[in-house]
Amino acid sequence: MDRAECGWHDRPPSGARRPAPTFEATSLPNLLVPIDLRDGEPTGPSLFALSEARRIAHQAGATIYAIAMNDRELDPRVVSDLGRAGADKVILCEGAGLGAPPMEPTHGAALLAAVERVPPLLVLFPAGGAGPQLAPSLAARIGAAFAARADLVVAETDGPLADGVGRVFLRRWRADRSSYRRFDPVEIERPVVALLASGHRRDQGGRGGQGGSEDIDVEVIACAPPVQSGFQEIASEPDELAEVALARVLVVVDPAVGAQALARLTAEAPPGVVVVDRKAAATAIAASVPEILIGVGHADLPMVGTPRGRVGVILFGDAVLPPGALADVLWRAPGNPADVVWEDLTRALASLAVPAAQGIDGAGRESPA
Amino acid sequence: MNLVVCLHAPPASADGQTLGRDDTHALGHALALAGAGTSHRVTALLAGTAVETGALHRALAAGVHRAVRLGGDDFGAADFHTVGQVLAVAIRRLDADLILTGGRSDDDGLGAVPAAAARYLGIAYVPSVEEIAMAGDGLVEVVVRGAGRKRRLRVKIPAVLSVVAGPRDSVIPPDRTGNPAEVDLLSLADPEATLVRRRTELLGREEPASRGTEEVTSAAALVAALSRG
Repeated sequence: MDRAECGWHDRPPSGARRPAPTFEATSLPNLLVPIDLRDGEPTGPSLFALSEARRIAHQAGATIYAIAMNDRELDPRVVSDLGRAGADKVILCEGAGLGAPPMEPTHGAALLAAVERVPPLLVLFPAGGAGPQLAPSLAARIGAAFAARADLVVAETDGPLADGVGRVFLRRWRADRSSYRRFDPVEIERPVVALLASGHRRDQGGRGGQGGSEDIDVEVIACAPPVQSGFQEIASEPDELAEVALARVLVVVDPAVGAQALARLTAEAPPGVVVVDRKAAATAIAASVPEILIGVGHADLPMVGTPRGRVGVILFGDAVLPPGALADVLWRAPGNPADVVWEDLTRALASLAVPAAQGIDGAGRESPA
Repeated sequence: MNLVVCLHAPPASADGQTLGRDDTHALGHALALAGAGTSHRVTALLAGTAVETGALHRALAAGVHRAVRLGGDDFGAADFHTVGQVLAVAIRRLDADLILTGGRSDDDGLGAVPAAAARYLGIAYVPSVEEIAMAGDGLVEVVVRGAGRKRRLRVKIPAVLSVVAGPRDSVIPPDRTGNPAEVDLLSLADPEATLVRRRTELLGREEPASRGTEEVTSAAALVAALSRG
């Protein structure tokens, strides 16, 4: 295990700018994946993000770094998990307070220390993790482009890259879903910071076939706590809606459908599928990045998916899909839905369950290997 | 205390809404903090053109003390670094103590503008804020969600708080007609407001996306079609 000292970087004085990294400094094809640890274990979306990075790393000639922030060393089993999921190396930012849920005032400088240590082509935040807290600030600090809710694409195109090295792009929807925005870090000469969707970790089978090795190095950056963050925790409790942000499949039920139907769908949801009330969980829904989003009894779905994601809508009776509504697939179910509709739906949702071999619970978190 | 609420002009919609959902909550929180019995003042700030002032007029009608439009550029085509920087210039001139913004305060729902503004101001940035309360001299208490926890935090001001729509409905008052204040114009034709070169390419290259809606007749067909994607 390599260990290095790297102090916190104070904020610049008001109005001053840290010099933006030049392309020469950022052109190394490093893919950085900040890992979301819950009780010391990486979340399912974190391992999925590593597997996505591994999917493109071979073609892009890239090296994958898992960035973990914690107040102690990582369990060797967790390091192996990160390696198997696709990481070539782990960078651990270790310091007092870094085991707490990430917030920009307390964790931003530690993440920046890792990014300055390994200048990235892409920084890929997993769904449901520190992305909303840390990604926009990181992008602002390093002068990067920011692609919230993005997919990774590799293209074999001519360009200023060595032969055999593919071009990595990211795509995200525009807010009105009328078009995509495509980000090419080579073209914009800056890194791209992105939030990925939740998804199945792919079975990658061996490094040649894009798989990872469990025998990887950990480099430690020792981080001293910030002298004055202007930030103090008064209370903390588990977020009852935490599973929503991690969900690969999110079913959003309109309250008008009825509490009984919601309770039934929730109770019978298979692992990996999360069912929520549209109004009660509005904040958590807005922060989610599911691969599949299904509206039940309404089409008022926020723009939370990626271009690869799919949106389904179930309307009852004579309800009409509003113009401009997000819907790849529409099912007009009978009015006054009876038990038979809910039975059909719960049976159909069962096919979206996470494969048992992946060990992901309904919250999208992977159990230890 | 000077509170500044940064608003943005939402994309045109059929229902003619002048405020985005998160912006509505940010404005509601600011007005609640500056409620009766306090000397706090609320200024609504928007970077945009003269035809994009609907959000500011709505804020005036709801009770803000002042509305300021930051003019001088086509911010619709600017990246979040640029918009954040110009907002920071304006916020500094307004001598703000606490800045509230909508969490997804730009046309593409990125939420990066408040982070960039905080960066240029050199002050703390706290995203995903659901609740705000004053907590004594120079402090506010906020409730945030993230990474599996719901936390109550005490934050020293000045700070930029990025507000998301919480489970409670927004609390901004309905339109009133009694507020005669007009929208002030703050020009960036100022030697202190030296901007970085605009990087429109940081917005990404636009690609067409044409995806129709496939209609199915059963739950099984719906799930099968979604899985095919």
